[in-house]
Amino acid sequence: MIHFYHVTKRFDAYSTALHDVTFHIEKGEFVFLTGASGAGKSTLLKLILRQMQPTEGQVVVNGRNLKAMKRSQLPFFRREIGMVFQDFKLIERMTVFENLSFILTVLGLPAREHKKRAYAALRAVSLHHKLNSYPLQLSGGEQQRIAIARALINDPLVIVADEPTGNLDPDLTLEIVQIFAEANLRGSTVLIATHDRELIEQSGRRVITLDHGRITDEKVAVPQRAPRAESIFGIGG
Amino acid sequence: MPLHDESLPKNTLSYFFREAMRRMWASKRTSFVAVAMIAISLFIVGAFLLVAENLGRAVARAGGTSRVNIYLNSDAAPQQIAAVDAWLAAHHDFASRRFVSKEAALARFRQYFANLSGVVGQLDENPFPASFECEVTPGLAQSAAFAKQAADLRAIAGVEEVQFDWEWVEKLKKLINLVNLAGLAAGGLLAVAAAFTIANVIRLTMLLYREEIDIMRLVGATERMIRGPFLIEGILQGFIGAALAVALLFAAFLAGRHFLAPQNSLLWGFLFNGFLPWQKLLALLAGGMLAGYLGSWLSVRESGEEA
Repeated sequence: MIHFYHVTKRFDAYSTALHDVTFHIEKGEFVFLTGASGAGKSTLLKLILRQMQPTEGQVVVNGRNLKAMKRSQLPFFRREIGMVFQDFKLIERMTVFENLSFILTVLGLPAREHKKRAYAALRAVSLHHKLNSYPLQLSGGEQQRIAIARALINDPLVIVADEPTGNLDPDLTLEIVQIFAEANLRGSTVLIATHDRELIEQSGRRVITLDHGRITDEKVAVPQRAPRAESIFGIGG
Repeated sequence: MPLHDESLPKNTLSYFFREAMRRMWASKRTSFVAVAMIAISLFIVGAFLLVAENLGRAVARAGGTSRVNIYLNSDAAPQQIAAVDAWLAAHHDFASRRFVSKEAALARFRQYFANLSGVVGQLDENPFPASFECEVTPGLAQSAAFAKQAADLRAIAGVEEVQFDWEWVEKLKKLINLVNLAGLAAGGLLAVAAAFTIANVIRLTMLLYREEIDIMRLVGATERMIRGPFLIEGILQGFIGAALAVALLFAAFLAGRHFLAPQNSLLWGFLFNGFLPWQKLLALLAGGMLAGYLGSWLSVRESGEEA
């Protein structure tokens, strides 16, 4: 589903975000991407969404070579990806409902479907009572969950999340990762970039570790028998 | 999901309008500048069109017949007047004639130019000459044979001047063309300025919404979807400006007719004969919308994702 072939991303002669990165994520996989700040995680995610182009190498997502993709095809490609941004990227002047409804307008769903779908997506992140609130009236954690609801609203083929639990307390982290696990069960391929070592180690999922723009480790985490892990991944296996 | 489907979703148009109106409301002051520019431009175009239209109506009314006015010397003797009358009676082309005495001419002036009658009253004597008014067919009136007859008429004692009204009709037609041209030139220039104002207003709005536009792109909105509300915003600004111009023009027309053109005054009366026909009003509205569209198009065509 997501394939990187010898990808290098240089911003200038002195600043290289990714060095010769090659990895493959198959359809239906749930993968964590980890690494210290500045390791290149966000750049890698931006390449998947084609927010930027690699300096060298190829990125292929859902069978499409992003380098060869025409600009006019880009919006339709992006609709296949549910992206959760680190800074949420919610539209501040829109209510929570309007933020979600906008995606459905883009997808061409009739207006009568919007409320139903938005309510269901918000219910999944336990924020259905915030339908008419504005993003700035919500806490960081709530905004994070709205961003997740928006990413999941159209059952995307691929879910890419950049630090989706960064603003959440441990209980909410469990809840959110469970939502991703459920989406994964429904068939979405999931890639989550996170710092949360404990979450990764308990997951039993494949982990790609980046360090200074290079993949330094790629392994399946061995789940520890801890209550937290069971509650998150008990459903997904 | 196909990657080549460029068609817009079904409920997009209502989204465009909602967004455009919301953005206009959110940036009321800048939107007002754009609307005012369009309104001023189209008011000027409309004013020229209105003058030309009413001049045209005056020409059309005179178009069916041609009149020759034979003005007599102020000291013309009754025998000389009788001689002119006899000459006219003998020439079939001038057979349809009417004598207007000095007193009748003065009374007519007082009737048509009521507000100037005081000026005439201050004079020692009646300044208006007596005249014969003859109806002639327009085709014949401009023939060479008729010109010869007119020259003969001028040579008769007591005749001061022979004046043909098709001459002023021709002059009026030239004036109408000039007014139309001046209106289009002035209005055209102002409309271009208005389009650029709208372009800058839209550019400013796009800067304000830059972050939001980036988010829209990231969640899969097409450029059409992103640009649509801005184009509609420009068109709406143009439409509102044009509607305002038409309303102001109509108010000015009513005020002019009320204050400047009392019923019997020819001086202003012909300028306030009637308002613009609906076709020209529609053209003004369409012009405003076009200027708005061009302005917003100039701005949105520059925007686009850099990646």
